[in-house]
Amino acid sequence: MDSILSVERELYALSEKFNRFDSTNGQQLVHTLETLRSTQRELDQVRKSGAALTPAQTFSLMKTVQGLSEVVSTFGTVHRDLHSSVSKVGKAIDRNFVTDYDSTSREDIFKAADQQKRLNEVILQHFYRHGQLEISDTLAQEAKLEDAHVIKDRFQELNAVVEALAEKRLGPALEWASKNSSDMHRAPEASSRAVTRLQSSSLEMKLHKLRFIDLLVEGKCLEAVGYARHYFPQFVKSHEKEVQALMGALMFASSGKTLEDSPYAHLLDTMLWQDIVEHFVKDACALMGLSIESPLSVVINAGCIALPALLNIKQVMQQRQVAGVWNPNAKDELPIEIDLGPECRFHSIFACPILRQQTTEQNPPLKLTCGHCISKDALTKLTSGHKLKCPYCPVEQNPQDARQITF
Amino acid sequence: MSDLRSLEHPTLKVPYEMLNKRFRSAQKTIEREMSHVTTARNTLERNLHSPENLSDLATSLDVLVEKMEQFQSKADEAVQSEVAVMENLKQRLTYLKGGCVPEHDETPALRAWQKTRVDRMLVEHFLRSGFYNSAIKLAQVAKIEDLTNINLFLVAKEVEEALLKKDTSQCLNWCHDNKSKMRKMKSTLEFNVRLQEFIEMVKQNRKMDAVKHARRFLSTTEHEQMATVQQGMALLAFPPGTRIQPYCDMFKESRWQELIEQFRAENYRLFQLSNQSVFSVALQAGLSALKTQKCYSDRNFECPVCQVPLNGLAEHLPFAHCSQSKLICYITGKPLNENNQPMMLPNGYVYGEDALSSMSMGNDGRIVCPRTKEIYSFTEAEKAFVM
Repeated sequence: MDSILSVERELYALSEKFNRFDSTNGQQLVHTLETLRSTQRELDQVRKSGAALTPAQTFSLMKTVQGLSEVVSTFGTVHRDLHSSVSKVGKAIDRNFVTDYDSTSREDIFKAADQQKRLNEVILQHFYRHGQLEISDTLAQEAKLEDAHVIKDRFQELNAVVEALAEKRLGPALEWASKNSSDMHRAPEASSRAVTRLQSSSLEMKLHKLRFIDLLVEGKCLEAVGYARHYFPQFVKSHEKEVQALMGALMFASSGKTLEDSPYAHLLDTMLWQDIVEHFVKDACALMGLSIESPLSVVINAGCIALPALLNIKQVMQQRQVAGVWNPNAKDELPIEIDLGPECRFHSIFACPILRQQTTEQNPPLKLTCGHCISKDALTKLTSGHKLKCPYCPVEQNPQDARQITF
Repeated sequence: MSDLRSLEHPTLKVPYEMLNKRFRSAQKTIEREMSHVTTARNTLERNLHSPENLSDLATSLDVLVEKMEQFQSKADEAVQSEVAVMENLKQRLTYLKGGCVPEHDETPALRAWQKTRVDRMLVEHFLRSGFYNSAIKLAQVAKIEDLTNINLFLVAKEVEEALLKKDTSQCLNWCHDNKSKMRKMKSTLEFNVRLQEFIEMVKQNRKMDAVKHARRFLSTTEHEQMATVQQGMALLAFPPGTRIQPYCDMFKESRWQELIEQFRAENYRLFQLSNQSVFSVALQAGLSALKTQKCYSDRNFECPVCQVPLNGLAEHLPFAHCSQSKLICYITGKPLNENNQPMMLPNGYVYGEDALSSMSMGNDGRIVCPRTKEIYSFTEAEKAFVM
């Protein structure tokens, strides 16, 4: 935030100067031009009358011309002097924002043809899964991706539904939801997160809700009540409050207009439609065995969290003159730990609390008889003879009793 | 350091460089028009010495008025174009402020902002990769035309397309446009373009034209390029099909592609863009931060690095560093901690207490290990303590 504010300060200072320049020097120019024109008219009259210029007239003409050169040259000088303010903005930008990424990333990493292809496929998938067909088709063409249709076909059903939702047609989505509602609770190939999501998914309820609101807006109250009776009972258990609210809206639904002024106006919010698209895409992807969030978005957002920390550590290393310690090309691990938050944890990582390093297949985690977990290497180091004292509690034990565990 | 500070330099710097450029050209316009006005004024002053010759005086006054009008309108136009860029800069600053929120504060507004950021990065990436139509479409759909540097790249597109058709005029115009900066950067782009024109003439066997061309454009070059000029001149002695190096290479068609690449690099340098797109930098950092050893052995559908195309992309990047255990339950994906104790089954596999207890409840106290399918009683599970 500070960096933005300091750039903004310089920019507003410059903008202020420009305004002043425009209002004073610019106006002076306009005035001078007017005086000059009136002098021109005067001279014209003198000429038409056939008289000669009086010395006073000559003098005033002289004056005007002198004034004019002064105005013009100040205009030029003042504008030139604005340069220092202009370059201050540039300096503020350079000072407050990072320009150099060389030490945290490699230029060549995505250069190879197969990497390029992969990268384009990732982006293509990102757009297809969001239903942005036009962009993805253009990209497939420009990037010359021959097997783009494979990715496209995979998302065809999804895209048809998204397209319909964009036109506020609920039919295909409802059809999809009822067809898959049994699968949704099983989802054989989905991951644990996907299963959790699908089991608690309220997509069907949300779709019925929108249809119900549509009926209300159209003023078909009786039909709406019938619809509610048919579909809502199955959701009452999980969505009691929502169903109550929807039925309450009936009171105001004699015509669409009054619903807008009622306490139920939020039901007409267009955000509900955007929300349902997002919700549907996530459910559909979970069912297809894809991740709920777009992988590209997850990675980029993770990168935006990681990059500042990486740039920071680089700076510190340079200050301490140990920059050579971390060469992104040589080491196969980042120099610092980056916490991306629980959302971005996909694998269990056990780091030995004694040796502070990740466990591997050769050095697996072990559970001691007292329940504390350490790595095999740490166990070997702590063992003396046939005895091991747990580093965390007073229990003494035989190191052979430790069990290898898998998270 | 915040994410804005590390990622948004090009968002601001490009319009700034544009402002700087417009400022210079405005100053030049003003000075040129000023000199016109001064000349007109001098004539008028001379005529004022003999005020009896009214018609001469009137004509010179007319000229002065005309020059003054021109000065005023040109100056105004130039200043307005500067103000327009400033407005764009202000707009971008206001937009960037939207991304300034306390860390880990997940509001819908921030989520939307982050989505736009991904779109902005993608637009830039497309532009750099030469996917201009995709870039324009995406910018339109996401309504981020004012926040991305499309215009800059569209100019580049024209130049590149012309070069691809072996038309150098656009590129030379561009060089002329940015002359002073190019000189400061010691750019060899213009020289290389001229040299290429010369080579084309030699290829077409227009040797006299080639020599004339060389006299006109290549004779004024800097000392460093002397060797290249000599090589170029020596081309006159070889037929285009020659196999002798380096002349064989000089006749190659791929030199046009090299010119395009040089042009691209110079264009980035001119606007102080780094050689890598922010997209690529963020992607690398993100992949590294997420990459674990398990992404290649024990894949998880949810993990982006485990998925097929990204998995390959991340292959040569460093792994995340981890000195603190970060455990999640294999069944629910929820973190394992004091609220969800890790429990070890007799076969050595560890799951969260929540998952095991809910599994045992609907199952007469029995637990099926999801990985080995062995059946245990809930009471057999032992607590594991992870520091």
